[in-house]
Amino acid sequence: MARGEVIIDYQICMGCGICVQACPFSYLELSRYGNDPYKRLYPELEADHGCTGCGICAKECPLECITARKKDEKKDVPLS
Amino acid sequence: MKGYTGKILFVNLTTGHIEERTIPDQVYEMLLSGVGLGAYVLYNEIPAGADPLGPDNVLGFTSGLLTGTGSLMTGRWMVVCKSPLTGGWGDANCGGYFAPAIKQCGYDGIFFTGIAEKPVYLLVNNKGPQLKDASHVWGKDATESEEILIAENTVKKKPAVAVIGTAGEKVSLIAGVCHDRGRIAARSGVGAVMGSKRLKAVVLAGSKPIKCHDPQAVKEISQAFAGKVRKQNLPGIVKGGFLPVMGKVMGSMKRVAPLDGMLFASLMKKWGTPMSNGMSATSGDTPIKNWAGSVKDYNRSYYSKINADHVIKREYRKYHCYSCVVGCGGVCNISDIGQGKFTHTHKPEYETCAVFGPLLMNRNLESIFYINELLNRAGMDSISAGHAVAFAMECYEKGLITREDTGGLELTWGNAGAIIKLVEMMIAREGFGDVLADGVKAAARKLGRGTDKYAIHAGGQEPGAHDSRFDPMMGVHYSVDPTPGRHTIGASQYYNMTRLWEKVSWAPAVKIYPKDEEYMATDREALKSVAGACYKQIVDGIGGCLFAQITGVQHWQAFEWLNAATGWNKTPDEYMLIGKRMQTLRQLFNIKHGIDPRTFKMHRRMAGDPPLKEGPLKGRQVPIDAMMKLHWKHFGWDENTGVPLPETVQELGLDQLLQKG
Repeated sequence: MARGEVIIDYQICMGCGICVQACPFSYLELSRYGNDPYKRLYPELEADHGCTGCGICAKECPLECITARKKDEKKDVPLS
Repeated sequence: MKGYTGKILFVNLTTGHIEERTIPDQVYEMLLSGVGLGAYVLYNEIPAGADPLGPDNVLGFTSGLLTGTGSLMTGRWMVVCKSPLTGGWGDANCGGYFAPAIKQCGYDGIFFTGIAEKPVYLLVNNKGPQLKDASHVWGKDATESEEILIAENTVKKKPAVAVIGTAGEKVSLIAGVCHDRGRIAARSGVGAVMGSKRLKAVVLAGSKPIKCHDPQAVKEISQAFAGKVRKQNLPGIVKGGFLPVMGKVMGSMKRVAPLDGMLFASLMKKWGTPMSNGMSATSGDTPIKNWAGSVKDYNRSYYSKINADHVIKREYRKYHCYSCVVGCGGVCNISDIGQGKFTHTHKPEYETCAVFGPLLMNRNLESIFYINELLNRAGMDSISAGHAVAFAMECYEKGLITREDTGGLELTWGNAGAIIKLVEMMIAREGFGDVLADGVKAAARKLGRGTDKYAIHAGGQEPGAHDSRFDPMMGVHYSVDPTPGRHTIGASQYYNMTRLWEKVSWAPAVKIYPKDEEYMATDREALKSVAGACYKQIVDGIGGCLFAQITGVQHWQAFEWLNAATGWNKTPDEYMLIGKRMQTLRQLFNIKHGIDPRTFKMHRRMAGDPPLKEGPLKGRQVPIDAMMKLHWKHFGWDENTGVPLPETVQELGLDQLLQKG
């Protein structure tokens, strides 16, 4: 059961993969197709992830497009 | 807190002893990390005259100084060793995800000496390093081995793996080190050294944080760069057919103007390096028919078959290396080729398409996709392999070898079936394939009969697929670099887009100039080639990507990132001095190992001797001897011998640094 989750702003993300490598549990993967014509892949949590909401991915993201949170904080952060 | 860890791991494969070593800050300030750190360790550790395939050679895997700091397009890792192909300094680099993984294990580099008694691999995770038995993956190809090693070593974090295929195991001198199912650090024969040590793989699963001086400042520079790349998109009406036309224009231009390198980024985003397949064939940039042909031979009925749109037709997703915002790589469906032997392959790079296309007069693109996957799995350098086949085809044409030599293969130009079969034989070291499996220089030596005339190389290494008669500065670097034959060091095209003169006081500024100037041995051209080489060393010290570099220093701000990550506050001129020091150290490595730099001069055909009789390069000749001398002179090396002068070594502080080592 995942205790956390990440929200990625795909308007800013460019699929550089820094967050994927930063995740200490490899829960993030480049697997989401975007809207661009080039078939680029963007990060998302894998299906059976156990994200803890530790925030390492958000801290490492150079484009500052990731928000990480613990599940119990969910009510404080509106989903986009 | 300066972007580097200050530690390396040193593994003796003979004894099994593993130790952690501390590297002084001064080494990073003088040589950065990456290739610079590698040169420092190898210069001190490898005794003069050591056998490249013996226990005294040291094989290193290093990350870049900026890797993992939040900077962009700085995720390349470097493999360093004494090269069995050239007998001197060897390095190769690769993208993917292995470079940050080295640092996440707490090291800037991992070095191996000795020879293991039986096949092993090194596993490093947060608990530390350990050597493990690799006999269950020995004999398997790189992709299959990688998948097995990831599956059996994933606890929390999925490991990053650097692994050799069967070519490295069989100590083919043109073998490389593979990663991420088809990326490869291909050059210098680094895979042969790994195979000679019976080291199958390095498996990294650490998750330690990578710290730098001012991460927020690094991010601000990254955001500015990413914003520019995001906007670089070609209009939808621009199709692949436009590329050969652009090439024709480039090949006929009498004057050259420097372009904004961001245009290059937009081409790369759409097609990746195969954008050059048609463009370079028509401009004269691609060597054709073992460097003896022209676009009159490889005409429209040929190059239109391998043009970029045909390549990306099979691409079902892009591939980004770590920290890359361009994404020039791709993964392609090939399940309909070769009776479905493989389902997919990494998009073949331009170099692979060129050496298995125009260089062999081959227009069968499907065969190129298939060979690409064969080589990626075997871990064999496509540039060298393609040149080896071209060498064999020309020898066959000239009657120097016959079907008796080739085991019945009809090695006529463009015979795709024979090319595939020969590559398979090279990988397996079977029959005539064994003759070619160590590159063209060794093949000509084994065959004799005057075949060396058709062995195209510089100092034992086959050149990249960029014609030095089209860009003579490329030929200078083919001939003077401590790793000869490399297309990634410098060229007029790179120099014009990198625009070093905007930040480096002594780099000659370029506006519009006559193309003929590039063919003249002048101090100005030499200063440009020296500046290009120095900056490339910096790029290889920080883990940078060549394609990021040539967007230009005003966009991809390596100097500014370095100051933000380290807190050093050095000027671009001071960093260029570091680049000069790194390059000089690599040259000193070669001198220590008995290399005469004059012997690295490229094959005479590459300099236009004899000149081509038709095509855009008709009559073009490169005064390579004079150009090499001027390049050496402006590096502070002896202009007649290429040996760094004692005063240069002293000025760069290398005498002190190396004595301390």
